[in-house]
Amino acid sequence: MSEAVLVAKDLVVSYGSQVVLQDVSLTLQAGTLTALVGANGAGKSTLLQVLQGQLAARSGSVHCEDVPIEDCRERVVLMPQRSRIDWSFPITVREFVALGALRSPARACCEREAALQRVGLSALASRRLDALSGGQQQRALLARALVQPSTVLLLDEPCSAIDPPSRDQLLRLMRQLVSVGHTLLVSSHDWGEALDLYDRVIVLQGRVLADGSPAAVRRSLSGLVDPGNHCCG
Amino acid sequence: MEIWFLPLLMTLLIGVLCPAAGTLLVTQRRELQANLISHAVLPGLAVAVAFGIDPAIGGVVSGLLGSLLAERLQRGRIANHDAVVNTVLAGFLGLGVLLIPLLNLRLDLDALLFGDLLTVTWWDLARVLVAASALGALVMGRYSQLVYLGVDSEGAAASGLPVRVLRLAMALVTALVIVSAMAAVGVILVIGLLCAPVLPGLRRASSLRAAICAASLVGLALSAGGFLLAIPLNLPPGPLIGVACLLLLCVPGMRGERT
Repeated sequence: MSEAVLVAKDLVVSYGSQVVLQDVSLTLQAGTLTALVGANGAGKSTLLQVLQGQLAARSGSVHCEDVPIEDCRERVVLMPQRSRIDWSFPITVREFVALGALRSPARACCEREAALQRVGLSALASRRLDALSGGQQQRALLARALVQPSTVLLLDEPCSAIDPPSRDQLLRLMRQLVSVGHTLLVSSHDWGEALDLYDRVIVLQGRVLADGSPAAVRRSLSGLVDPGNHCCG
Repeated sequence: MEIWFLPLLMTLLIGVLCPAAGTLLVTQRRELQANLISHAVLPGLAVAVAFGIDPAIGGVVSGLLGSLLAERLQRGRIANHDAVVNTVLAGFLGLGVLLIPLLNLRLDLDALLFGDLLTVTWWDLARVLVAASALGALVMGRYSQLVYLGVDSEGAAASGLPVRVLRLAMALVTALVIVSAMAAVGVILVIGLLCAPVLPGLRRASSLRAAICAASLVGLALSAGGFLLAIPLNLPPGPLIGVACLLLLCVPGMRGERT
């Protein structure tokens, strides 16, 4: 069993009087690719924000390598949903990726080029961001996250609104990142075959409904989830 | 010829400065803030004139207060931000108009709103230079942060950038630019110069820096064209520049459409 790098215990999160997450606990092992699956409004983005320390839980705790997340937020990097980005902003891919290293400009140059190479965008680095396809833009967003030195990468619906070939390419890329030691938690509302690419699947619906290998989760939820009702996002 | 030198110089400087500041506002999607500040300067101008202070100082303070009030009233709201901004704009404009008779002021409201280049002094030019210096300091000192804020404002906040300070600095620079442009094009028509010249180059520029340069060049051409056309036509240059901004957007490819 690999080492636990991110541990969340008994998280309760609410917006005003509305409870969004109830008693959510999870542990991420180093060097694993985990899917966080749930329908829209299940609390996936909220959970990722809490795990990164952007949002405070009403109760419960998050620790990264035994340190409270408030004291080590830089160890956990959150790649946001694509809707949060202004893709029409006048910026090249290279400059966009470099924004990830804004807090540590000394290492920006080499880290930026390494991240661009890793996601396969070196040849497109001088293009404007809005000249890329949706899949390439997602890879640029991932490269921006990779520039930051981190222990855990949280990816908020990286496969939404991109075509299946781009999605498969992104999933392969995530698998490569895990093979070189990264720990990834990826939110998705995809119940399809793509789930088999993950080491582990956590199903969220305000609370954790299931947690285990893709096959085990499918079995345990077979009575609750209509397998035909999946989307490619 | 000599009497035209100062107005022409002022027009050209404003033509470069306003689009440069406008590029920041447009790329941060804060165009409405320019509109708000341009109207919110009026109460401050009136109070400053009444107390014998430089009207520009009153205008900047008042414009900044309007911007801060709108920001405060927007906080916690998910939608209706534009409605809040428009309400604050109307309130400040109304207050300014009310203060003029209440304080027994003799203000040339037309010149204030639409500009009067013939009244331009070296002091007005100095204000433009102060505004240009403030804008230059902001862009050069905080360039990467402004880019981050524009492309991903939530991410910028999450990564610990001083988002509120940056927005306050932008509001201050915008207020300085608007007040300094009063003499040339008036506080109302300045909105045209802040926005229209930005659009043609925005989709083609590969960086915020390049977008600022492109907008400034277009603004310079518009201002110079408007001014030179005003002399033979015997028309006020301010409104003419405003109309030129509108005409620019009617030219295909000048609205920043995708090519």
